[in-house]
Amino acid sequence: MPLCSLKNIRKSYSLGQEEVEILRGISLEIQEGEFVALMGPSGSGKTTLMNIIGCLDVPTTGEYIFAGQKVSGLTDDELSIFRNEHMGFVFQNFHLLPYANVLENVLLPTLYVSGKKEGAPLKRARELLKLVGLEDRERFKPSQLSGGQQQRVAIARALVNDPRLILADEPTGQLDSSTAREIMDLLQKMGHGGKTVMVITHDLATAAYAERKVHMQDGLVSG
Amino acid sequence: MERVFNIFQQAGAAVRAFKLRTFFCLASIALGISSITIIVAATEGAYQRAFEIVDRFGPDSLMVLGGSETTRAVGHREKTITLEHVRAVEEAFSSAYLVVPMTSQGNIIASHRDRRLQTRVIGSTHDYSQAWTWPVIEGSDLTENDVKGLRNVALLGHEVVETLFGQESPVGKYVFVNRIPTQVVGVLASRGTSPAGHNLDNRIIMPITTVMRKIQNETRYINNFRIRFVDANRMENHEQELRSFLRQLQGTPEGAPDDFRIISPTEIIRFLVALTGSLVAFLGIVGVMSLVVAGFVLANLFLLSVKERTREIGVRRSVGAKKSDIRFQFLCEAVLITSLGGVAGFALGFAGAQLLTTMADFPMHFSWRAFAVGLGLSWTVGILFGLQPASRAANLKPIEALRA
Repeated sequence: MPLCSLKNIRKSYSLGQEEVEILRGISLEIQEGEFVALMGPSGSGKTTLMNIIGCLDVPTTGEYIFAGQKVSGLTDDELSIFRNEHMGFVFQNFHLLPYANVLENVLLPTLYVSGKKEGAPLKRARELLKLVGLEDRERFKPSQLSGGQQQRVAIARALVNDPRLILADEPTGQLDSSTAREIMDLLQKMGHGGKTVMVITHDLATAAYAERKVHMQDGLVSG
Repeated sequence: MERVFNIFQQAGAAVRAFKLRTFFCLASIALGISSITIIVAATEGAYQRAFEIVDRFGPDSLMVLGGSETTRAVGHREKTITLEHVRAVEEAFSSAYLVVPMTSQGNIIASHRDRRLQTRVIGSTHDYSQAWTWPVIEGSDLTENDVKGLRNVALLGHEVVETLFGQESPVGKYVFVNRIPTQVVGVLASRGTSPAGHNLDNRIIMPITTVMRKIQNETRYINNFRIRFVDANRMENHEQELRSFLRQLQGTPEGAPDDFRIISPTEIIRFLVALTGSLVAFLGIVGVMSLVVAGFVLANLFLLSVKERTREIGVRRSVGAKKSDIRFQFLCEAVLITSLGGVAGFALGFAGAQLLTTMADFPMHFSWRAFAVGLGLSWTVGILFGLQPASRAANLKPIEALRA
């Protein structure tokens, strides 16, 4: 059974009176443990597709099944729980809370865990910080860190609730090439550790890390 | 439960992080709450003062003053009551255990050796100290024979003793009261000032007969009399009975106004509460207005804050915060700030009240009630004006918030 199964996903937005169709019938399967690069020109619908896969957005029509559960039709609260449990996001702009320190940022997803919590979040957060090489920066504010370090914090945050899928939208877009390599190495390490990783990128060097590349064009998967 | 605590902690962090917003909201709430605090304290203080005064006046007492309020001018009001009236009341009212006539004369010079003092002489009976629950602390009280015999004897108030005798004991010694040599038989306990501002300790009490004959040259009229009843719960009935009895006694025709005035404990309370009422009303309007203004300040700054923190909201949503979590966090922030404002306002009000008390001798009483009202109102403002920005934050679409 694939981890993600999308069938004929369509997504349209209304811009004023005009209806704009961003995704025009996408069918895609992602297997557990895959490292997938999603590529394509701007406006091709990559981010929209990733948002739908990450349960940040819902398709207009079509069916999305994640780990055997039908996602389309879940309520906003249910989607929030779903994201909290199964998804880890890494953004191009890192998106750390500026007023929280490194450790607090990593712990953020653990605050919203529903039901019984498993293990000790603090212990896990420290382990992850060690994994990304920032164990001595716990009390630092994001503004005191370099871009690469900030992205490592974001990766630790994405991993803290032990999600099944990691979604990274241009994770190296703001980083120089050597830092970008470090970040991609890190994501690859996660992939080898059994996580399913999906990366959106323009960059061929970044895409080279992927086992599988999915190209998009005009709201459709082109092969 | 843990989630609630977590989010509350997040709110606390944001309150600490956005210092300028916190400061402005807090300051504007504090101003409003401080005046509300003063109002509550002033109201409580006024009631407390009123009940103290009534307690001192005697909850079982009525005082009858000569002269109508409405038909006579101030200077001509006084004397419409005679000793005969008092005697008649004493005989007719078995429900009263004390009926004490009094007459009063101001601008009296009292002297002892080379010391002089301007004072007021009160003529009364041997029941005077009991009538006012005003103990004789040294020497002895006036006696019935002092009154019958028009004797030149006196009880001295605390200040009279201090001025004329210093540390000496005055009992048995002589003072000249209006050039009449008078023997001091006792000293009254210190009593401070009356509600009307008279210095009660600058007084000399003498037999009413002596004062009328020898000082006032008066044969019939006295100023007032005081009557104490056995049953303090029936004061309104007593007052009515006394009124109709006195009207009959004075031959006042039906429909004409009373030619006397009865002062009762309820009337004193009414008067005192009215006295503080205008300040309370003024502060009340100011307080409520500034709270509303504070509420708008809060709402505005929070809307700005929501705009500024759109990304934060998006990030929180992406890691699993529900709409309700976001709403709760912003509401917590608002209530946290207004609570701090409430506490600061209470402190500010407390300081302001000290100032009012020292400057204007305004009665203030701080209790948990003033604090609770302040805190309750600040919570109300926080929730009321925080709700809209919080809902706006909660209803942001995650993907749009992240894109901001």
